[in-house]
Amino acid sequence: MTGANAVRQVFGFFSFLGRKTGKTRVFAILGLIPVALAVIVRIVLHGRGGLMAAVFTEILMVFFLQFYIVILALFYGTSVTAEEIENRTLTYLITRPIPKPAIILGKSAAYAVLMFAMVGVSLALSYFIMNAARLSDPDLYGTFFRYLGVLGLGILAYTAFFTFLGAVLKRAIIVGMIFGFGWENVIQYFPGSTQKLSIVHYLKSLLPYHPPSVGGGGGRGVALLLFRLEPTTPLAAILILAAVTAGLLALACWLFRVKEYLYED
Amino acid sequence: MATVREKGYTHWDGKLGERRFPWWPIARTGILLAFRKKRFKFIFAGAFIPSIVFLVGLYISERLEDFKAIIQGSDRLLNIDPKYFATYLASDWLLFLIVLVLAYGAGGLIADDLKHNSLQLYFSRPLGKKDYLAGKMSVVAFFVLILTALPGLLLIVFKLVFAGSFKFFLQYPWLPLSVLGYSALLTVFFAFYVLLLSALSKNSRYVFILIFGAYIFSNVLFGILHEIFETPYMALFSVPANLQQAGAFVFGQKLPHAFPAVWSFAVLAGICGLSAVVLNRKIRSVEVIK
Amino acid sequence: MTAVIAASHLSKWYGNVLGLNDVSLEIEEGITGLLGPNGAGKSTFMKLITGQMKPAIGSVTVRGRKAWNDPDVYQGIGFCPEQDVFYEDVTGWEFVTGLLRFYGYSRTEIRERAARALDVVDLTADKDRLIRGYSRGMRQRVKFAQTIAHDPDILILDEPLSGLDPLGKRKLIKLIKDFKKQGRTVLVSSHVLPEIEALTSRVVLIHQGKILAQGDIPFIRELIEAHPHQISVRSSDPRALAARFVGDRSIHKMTFGADGRTLVVETHKRDAFFSRLTGVVIEAGIAVEEISSPDDNLQAVFEYLVGK
Repeated sequence: MTGANAVRQVFGFFSFLGRKTGKTRVFAILGLIPVALAVIVRIVLHGRGGLMAAVFTEILMVFFLQFYIVILALFYGTSVTAEEIENRTLTYLITRPIPKPAIILGKSAAYAVLMFAMVGVSLALSYFIMNAARLSDPDLYGTFFRYLGVLGLGILAYTAFFTFLGAVLKRAIIVGMIFGFGWENVIQYFPGSTQKLSIVHYLKSLLPYHPPSVGGGGGRGVALLLFRLEPTTPLAAILILAAVTAGLLALACWLFRVKEYLYED
Repeated sequence: MATVREKGYTHWDGKLGERRFPWWPIARTGILLAFRKKRFKFIFAGAFIPSIVFLVGLYISERLEDFKAIIQGSDRLLNIDPKYFATYLASDWLLFLIVLVLAYGAGGLIADDLKHNSLQLYFSRPLGKKDYLAGKMSVVAFFVLILTALPGLLLIVFKLVFAGSFKFFLQYPWLPLSVLGYSALLTVFFAFYVLLLSALSKNSRYVFILIFGAYIFSNVLFGILHEIFETPYMALFSVPANLQQAGAFVFGQKLPHAFPAVWSFAVLAGICGLSAVVLNRKIRSVEVIK
Repeated sequence: MTAVIAASHLSKWYGNVLGLNDVSLEIEEGITGLLGPNGAGKSTFMKLITGQMKPAIGSVTVRGRKAWNDPDVYQGIGFCPEQDVFYEDVTGWEFVTGLLRFYGYSRTEIRERAARALDVVDLTADKDRLIRGYSRGMRQRVKFAQTIAHDPDILILDEPLSGLDPLGKRKLIKLIKDFKKQGRTVLVSSHVLPEIEALTSRVVLIHQGKILAQGDIPFIRELIEAHPHQISVRSSDPRALAARFVGDRSIHKMTFGADGRTLVVETHKRDAFFSRLTGVVIEAGIAVEEISSPDDNLQAVFEYLVGK
């Protein structure tokens, strides 16, 4: 079987399996929380349209960007290898006529699509509920797709990182947790080029507004999301995120190919 | 036909021993298994860092003259009073480290039993659900008390030792009770919290994420809701905020959030109640597959 | 006959523990039994053959190709693992069809192959039930179904009969023998001696990572010249028979069975004994009811070899 075909088959298999598990349902329910918040906020702040938009875009995005996609990617990314080793089902995959890298690529792609679907539905519902009064405004949709794009890139980059961690380490979840909720949360606020050592820096650089110091506007919540951000240009941010994703996935594939994974007795 | 007795086995006619602690083997095994995990010892040792920092603070406070050159203007930090102990026991750092230790060392307490179908093995012994849960909770209690009550009480003792007098104790005679009371509150809460999440899945990696995720998410939710609604009551959504509110109340300090502490106690009790309900349903000797 | 599977100076360490120790072996077409106690190295050997592990020293090939990182080798190999593990949130049907996707078949072919495989293992009626709800025997059968669904010509079966009831075992044994008749190669491991004996007479004995012996059971037995053969003769007058053999120096020991009709003889020269027995029986007019070799079975052979 060719590599591309193998990736496609692995993708199909794990898309199916991923949809069936109870954990996916739990994470999907977690994604409904911003929707519930959007409904509550719309009721509470009824009539104050501008404030509503500011509340959503700047506050709920904190939830999506710095919690939801990180926790999803942490679980699903480390699951690419860890799940197969813990459940001892790796045997079924590596004794099939498919190249080992196809397992990494196909499974991480399947999980990335699953996560994107969960995030996309949650974002769409909460965003359009919050901005229901402005549905005729075409700029609204442009902004929405930009947010969706940022979260999509974030899912890809974080999934690649955690997939790599899962391929390298036995207990990737702890290191992943420290990276996702420790390093990322701290380094992004460092001045100068240090903040460029975090993935979230590049994601924030792609958001559709900038701090007042660089000629951007935004509500009071912008300060929360873009606090101390020294943005990278959008093109550079996209290229770096793509390179990080591709590089880490390539490393994960190589490691998975050369490493032996032994089950614990 | 030979009777059962002649075949060499009989039912035990006597009474079972009076001093039975069926939960103890479960507790002991759970603690030993936690220490067998490679990185757990490192994480557990790291969880004592706050207590060492505060112990150093105690020492410096008694040697203030010697350290004045280094800590100019910082003597506010070194007032050793109940607030110092409340700050230690209810600090974000210590609570985070407790969650980390429990997530790694105790996350699999029930999850692993569900995964390996061990509940049948437990309940085929003279062991009830209460004994099983008491044993599992004892594991959590061991770790939480060692990180809270033990250093908390030792800090009081060291304060008296460094000061060379009982003045501090006479000034705040209820302080040891506050330390014990708050440690007990943390123990009970975290026992129910960890076991609730451990019972929700057979996958201990997922449970690790649940334990951490729920803790962090509750704080993120508080932040978001506080920004939206601008009311301190949103702190009720945050697990660490509720624990800190309860801690401030127990130590007689100014509450960090502007609402009565009874609400925080109610939220914590509610989580414990929910946990009790879920555990009662989940802990069964036979798995029912639909 | 060319070897289907060939191992040359194959060794594997797990840290400081030696899993397989300088194994050189060729496995030909037909059924070969891999016999050894738990921890002998059977699963390690099978994992090395199927490319799940990389040899530390030496090599192992399947039809001349190394299995490690060569996915094309798996087109013709079906592996049934020992562990009772599955993707639990799926039905038996979803499990078999899911794994068949990786062979490049069309959807129709996947459905046909899966239906055939599940029919062979008698799981058609339960194919739409979740594997979580399967009994131990059903789980073993669905595992076997995924092994054969793609019609491999080499089957590597690690303890395939564990968890099956006696009827299930008979069916599976018959199935494995049918595979042999189709010209396929089967390597089956077990620590249960009667199971191996029921499947094949060609065995490889493995213990503590080393190959103790390889060949037909009687052939292996012949190799063990250090240990005498036991022959049991059931007759109308065992004592009279014993009296005839007392002076024979090739006989070490004679014992009488508890039933009073059996004479058990230990001798180094089995063929010579049989020749003499025929003459003695006719001469003495003793009616012989049964002649058997109590130790001409795998259990005895194995115990001799491991020195028990």
